[in-house]
Amino acid sequence: MKDQVFGVGYRRLPERSHRWVPWPIARTALSLAWRKRSTKFGLVLCSMSVFGHGMALTAQILAERFTQATHGAPVGMAQTFIKGVVGDVHATLANFIGVQMVACAFLLAMVAAPLVAEDRRTGAMELYFSRPLRQRDYLIGKLLAAGLVPFAVMVVPFFLLWLFAVGMAPPGTSSELWWLLPPGLLGVLVAAVLLTTTILGLSAIGERGRTVGVLYVVGMLMLTFLGEQLPNAGHRWAGYLSPSRNIQTLADSVLDAGGSGMLLSMLTNRPAVNPSLALAMLCVAGLSAAGLALLMWRVRKEVSG
Amino acid sequence: MRYKAPVLLDLRGVSKRFGALKALDEVTCRVDGRAVGLLGPNGAGKTTLMRACLGLLKPDAGEVGVLGVDARRNPGAVRMRLGYAAEGAHRIPGLSGLESVAYAAELCGLPRRIALLRAHEMLDLVGLDDARQRPVEEYSTGMHQRVKIAMALVHDPELLMLDEPTSGLDPSSRDELLQLIVRLRDGDGPAVLLSTHLLHDVERTCDACIIMDRGQVRYAGTLEQLRARMGDDDYEIRGSDDLRPLAGTLTQAGHGVSPGAQPDALRVRLAPGHGPEAIWAAAAAVGVSLWQVQPRGQRLEDAFMAAVGPQEVQ
Repeated sequence: MKDQVFGVGYRRLPERSHRWVPWPIARTALSLAWRKRSTKFGLVLCSMSVFGHGMALTAQILAERFTQATHGAPVGMAQTFIKGVVGDVHATLANFIGVQMVACAFLLAMVAAPLVAEDRRTGAMELYFSRPLRQRDYLIGKLLAAGLVPFAVMVVPFFLLWLFAVGMAPPGTSSELWWLLPPGLLGVLVAAVLLTTTILGLSAIGERGRTVGVLYVVGMLMLTFLGEQLPNAGHRWAGYLSPSRNIQTLADSVLDAGGSGMLLSMLTNRPAVNPSLALAMLCVAGLSAAGLALLMWRVRKEVSG
Repeated sequence: MRYKAPVLLDLRGVSKRFGALKALDEVTCRVDGRAVGLLGPNGAGKTTLMRACLGLLKPDAGEVGVLGVDARRNPGAVRMRLGYAAEGAHRIPGLSGLESVAYAAELCGLPRRIALLRAHEMLDLVGLDDARQRPVEEYSTGMHQRVKIAMALVHDPELLMLDEPTSGLDPSSRDELLQLIVRLRDGDGPAVLLSTHLLHDVERTCDACIIMDRGQVRYAGTLEQLRARMGDDDYEIRGSDDLRPLAGTLTQAGHGVSPGAQPDALRVRLAPGHGPEAIWAAAAAVGVSLWQVQPRGQRLEDAFMAAVGPQEVQ
């Protein structure tokens, strides 16, 4: 068998073509992540959050239909009570962005943490750059791999939840919900960018994927904890330390969210919001820029030796 | 059809420092051939030179020409025409051998389907059969080397650069790998630049070599020329008597004389234009009887030792 195999000669490639290289980088990284059990566990976590918010939306729309079916007759207390229990669609979609961001951070810790760190540890970085690969191809490939995760578990589910709400809502409410899509997508995209750049930035300075993943989750939880607790102790500025609080501030603001309702409050731990949207956005932009800068610095350093 | 490259390597005054260490010191050479050995002891600067050729490392000074392209100014074009198998376990954990090679092809811009076909072809060439479907972490060192060579070959380069490909291999794997290099050299494959500290590997596979030591090129040219530098006029002589009078006579006649391998032996380098009869004549003149006058042969090891200098010999 071996002799036969060894008898194969070298054949030159009949033609050379050049395809867009970042896509194979992203596809391979995601297919490797998919083989891990922890990734599937993270996906289940994210799906549970989507399911929970879907249920809340269903309850809200049914309540809305019930209210309209009664032709607004005994609106007063009954409607207020129902609203208090199930909340409104605006708040649920805003809540989804904040909560799903935390779930997505867990998933990213499993999928995207090894992306650059493991390339350095295993020497794959040299393997990449000994090929006709430009720095930007590598960067885009890794950003694409990490970015597709929040896109799949945040942006797409947000769109589906919105579509579900619009489709099921009674006519009057439905037309009102139409206008939630652009600001909602903005919020969810900002969250996705923040998660993608921060995990890759951390991966760029780490040595092992697992360590980076743990540090990322612990870091996120620490910042969220400090962002929740310190303002209660009088340090209002500390609220801006929490990325999830900053994103929730953006989501609540763009979606004009009211109360999320008793039901959803019981199911999820919704982050509080910061007083200034501009400052919150500045913090988000700063964190994203830092992550991106770390990633670019690492690649430049590796390539130039 | 074989590749006809302009000149494999054309290096002019290439220098690179890492802190106080001079990794490359004014390296200047021009080498061509189907298989070139980059020979030198550990720490001679071989890997640094290869990385400079790939454009992975910017030299502090000098020009690096690879296949007629300036590697400093146009590293992308150089890498498109080079295949590089680095030393050490460079791999992507989780991928199988087949996936690794196909991925390497895709990174060079090949469409997925062609990349997979080409990966199978290259793995057939390097002799990795059923194991190609197994994850690379489970591979032996020999299998790793095969996969790395397949990855380096998959995009059909014009020059294949192998960094210490036989290190850590058992004799039979090493033999198979050297056979593969010879087949590439003699077939339609790319030219090969083989970096190694093993003389035997170069002797068996290469037709030219660069000898490096402490960041400097000590020799660059064909193996034939290198052997010729050692000369056909080197003789090992042994006799039953005291050879000192003979050594004196030969030295007076302008021949080079040094102690031989044994106490009763002398090494004689004849002056140009003289044959071994000069030794016999001198022996007769001083009354020494010799029982061996043997050409020393053209051993690459001697040439290497001479090239890297007396310190290394010690």
